[in-house]
Amino acid sequence: MRGTHKPAAFAGFWCLTLAGNLGVFLAADVATFYVAFATVSLAAYVLIVHEANEAALRAGRIYIVMVILGEVCVLAGFVIGITAADSLNIADIRNAQSDAPPGGVASLLPVAGFGIKAGLMPLHIWLLLAHPAAPTPASAVLSGAIVKAGIIGMILFLPASLGFADWLVVLGLAGAFGAALLGLRETNPKTILAYSTISQMSLVTAHIWAPLGSDDASVQFAFYALHHGLAKGALFLSVGLVAACTGRWRAAVLVAVALIALSVAGAPLTGGSVAKLAAKSGLDGVAETALPLTAITTTLVLTWSITRLAMVGTDSKSGRPNAFLAVPTLAIGLGALVVPWVLGRDWSGLEPGYPLHLSSLWSSAWPVAVGLAPGLLWSWRRASGPPSADRTLAERIDDRLAVLETRASAAPVQHPHWFATTIQAAFEAAMVSLSALEQHLKRGRYASMLLVAFCIASRLAGDCGDRTGFGPAYI
Amino acid sequence: MNSCKLATLPQRRRVWNERSPAGSEPDDIAHSRDAHVFVPDDNHRLRNALNLGGAVLKLGLVGFMFFEVAGGVVYKFRLDFVPGLFLLLRVDALALLFLSLSAALWFLTTIYAIAYFGAKPEQSGFFGFFSLCVAATTGIALSGTLISFFIFFELLTLSTWPLVVHKRNANSLAAGRAYLSYAMPASAVLLVAVVWLESTVGPVEFAVPADLGALDDTSLQVIYVLFIVGLGVKAALIPLHGWLPQAMAAPAPVSALLHAVAVVKAGAFGIMRIVFDVFGLDRLDALGVATPLAMLAAATIIWGSIRALQQEDIKKRLAYSTVSQVSYIVLGIALGGPYAVIGGLAHLVHQGLMKITLFFCAGIFDERAGITRIDALDGIGMRMPWTAACFTVGAMGMIGLPPTAGFVTKIYLGVGALQSGAAWALGVLVVSTILNAAYFLPLIYRIWFLEVPSDARPVEGPPTLIGPAIVTAAASIAAGVIAAAAYSPLGWATLIAQQEYLP
Repeated sequence: MRGTHKPAAFAGFWCLTLAGNLGVFLAADVATFYVAFATVSLAAYVLIVHEANEAALRAGRIYIVMVILGEVCVLAGFVIGITAADSLNIADIRNAQSDAPPGGVASLLPVAGFGIKAGLMPLHIWLLLAHPAAPTPASAVLSGAIVKAGIIGMILFLPASLGFADWLVVLGLAGAFGAALLGLRETNPKTILAYSTISQMSLVTAHIWAPLGSDDASVQFAFYALHHGLAKGALFLSVGLVAACTGRWRAAVLVAVALIALSVAGAPLTGGSVAKLAAKSGLDGVAETALPLTAITTTLVLTWSITRLAMVGTDSKSGRPNAFLAVPTLAIGLGALVVPWVLGRDWSGLEPGYPLHLSSLWSSAWPVAVGLAPGLLWSWRRASGPPSADRTLAERIDDRLAVLETRASAAPVQHPHWFATTIQAAFEAAMVSLSALEQHLKRGRYASMLLVAFCIASRLAGDCGDRTGFGPAYI
Repeated sequence: MNSCKLATLPQRRRVWNERSPAGSEPDDIAHSRDAHVFVPDDNHRLRNALNLGGAVLKLGLVGFMFFEVAGGVVYKFRLDFVPGLFLLLRVDALALLFLSLSAALWFLTTIYAIAYFGAKPEQSGFFGFFSLCVAATTGIALSGTLISFFIFFELLTLSTWPLVVHKRNANSLAAGRAYLSYAMPASAVLLVAVVWLESTVGPVEFAVPADLGALDDTSLQVIYVLFIVGLGVKAALIPLHGWLPQAMAAPAPVSALLHAVAVVKAGAFGIMRIVFDVFGLDRLDALGVATPLAMLAAATIIWGSIRALQQEDIKKRLAYSTVSQVSYIVLGIALGGPYAVIGGLAHLVHQGLMKITLFFCAGIFDERAGITRIDALDGIGMRMPWTAACFTVGAMGMIGLPPTAGFVTKIYLGVGALQSGAAWALGVLVVSTILNAAYFLPLIYRIWFLEVPSDARPVEGPPTLIGPAIVTAAASIAAGVIAAAAYSPLGWATLIAQQEYLP
């Protein structure tokens, strides 16, 4: 971060984001949770737009719009939950959520709100734009920690027995495979890693509502998310680290990065394999089958990301990394490899030594092996071929949004769609006539009469309502 | 203290400065600060000393009463001026909610106004009416009967007009005309309502529930509608809100107090008195007129937000935002569920704190950097960090983001809406939150994230101008963070609701 403008603002909001993120995990009542959740959302905006270039500001705009919609959904869901549970306690709200009055809305709203934060497909657009635009450390916490706020929200607030749980599993699994495959079309290593994050978070979402083999499966998924946070944080940080290295240093760093990536894919003996085995032990049915299959796509996309990472340009003169860049990146990466083994004894729900059994080693190894071959092939073909002139999907989305924004702010469009024109014309006509009415009212002549008429009319309407049993139940 | 004076202003105005024989504490407060219309225009020191002295004294007395009333004491002062009609000033918990808001914000606005006007001319007249306005607001808060309420309400109407037209340019005069053309017919309507009601049931005292059984339902409904029309002009309910956006032509301190405490709040407070103390929630429900009021408030919330979105002028956007936000209070009262009532009562204070912050800042932007339009705000955060930070806090509160006071209100109103079986009101809150974000976030974005024009230099104002904004911004955060404390606005609102209006 040295040499960028306004480092103090970045540092301040960095700490605020951290504080909020910790609060999300520690909150026991809904008000604290919401305060922390909103703090993360808003403070992260400042991190995303830090570079203050066109792409970052646009990513920030998309982010803030989605986040505000998410906040409102979450808040409305909370209000329904608080009323149903008559309590601010998170556990009470979770229990009351499923049979809160307006049907599934009470659960659907938080799913949408937390889904936006967690990057659940198709609510993931902001992630794609924000990761490449943000400074590297900000990308690392976005993927490592901030999206987890959405996951923890889902675990904390939504009961396991949701009416539409099956749909969430389908959505999550589709995202898990789809996002990884979409990542193969990208060229910016940060975007590829962002897709991998979306894929992993979708997987976790799917598994939260998958038919569970054991009661403490949510603990196992928190365990899984912990490993992912460490590993993905390290991978994002390594983008900055690799850019600072050349020659032999770069080769050494890439080996370390490959190890971390293997851990995300769940290769045997890595921390990731413990996390995956733990997660798998809590599942049965389709989800249990799907988990190893996602490891194949994960391997694919991460192989591609490392290939692109190796091709990152450098601005370093010495070619040797700064210790301040290297040590934290490698330390977090090491943490991803080791921490699951350390914590596994108490938290994974696995027998000690189970990840070392031959069958476990095999079940971890084959998806990685299956994924590695096509991954390398793809990387070799794409990397050795001529650089494609086509814009990638994420870039095209960005272009499209830029065009839309210009259109919205600029005056007339050349050839607008007939539907858009009709809607716009209708809206404008409505606004013109309403504003004219308001202007008219400003003269003050008819206002009082109109209000009396309104009150009488709504009074009559209220009368009809009362007879049919509609109307507020006052205390 | 006890005399009746007919005062003549040095320049061209004549003012009847109402004073009543007094002795009890509330009356002292209501009239402690009306002497300085006589102060020569260039004697800044004496005028400021009188203004600030009065404000501090009042703040002290209100603070003292606050703790006494919390302990259950009720202060009363009664004056019979016509047989059968009497002026009653009474300090109950609801009165004190409004009174303490007005005392605190008036003190801050006085400091701000002194700094804002500096050495400009015509200040004695301004501060004279300013103080008359605070006296009227205090009177409204303390009124114990319908007729005393009406007297002070009209005093407020008249004393506000000179403040609105203070600049004497075409815009302010037009605004003043619009204000009166709304306020005067509304006063007539209000008077009809008061006379109609009192001619049948006798003098209505807020503390003693009036026996409304003497009137048939239809008459009561019409009287209620007349009351809402009469008070709705000040509370800026659609379609009676047209004067408020125009009135932003007034100087910033006036806009600040108009939008935060004096006029719109007097309307909202009046609706509270009518709903709680004259009719009562149960009777309104039986009459079937509570839901229409809630719907009207909801329509106002949405319409105000939509219009705010279309404004290019900072103060005009804030004005439409007020139209929308004040109706939160009315919505809470009209919904009538316990949480909704508490949310509505607390929002009386919360909205005051947040909106006064925004207007203080808008005034500083205008006064120090000449910025009145939204597109001129680019990069102002770097030039005026304190002002911009306060503005940001106020805007976040208006959106309802935690940990500000606005968040607390939204939660309470939302829960209250569901308790009252009015799920549609939750939808209104959701839509309004999104709209609020849509019209406030672009301002914050411009302030902090866009480039500073190259010729800009730091222009942060003097501490007396920024200080009040910082205090109110801090208070609007504090009101959210310590909402659970007994003496927070929310705690006090809960006390009022439990003691008086809820079973």
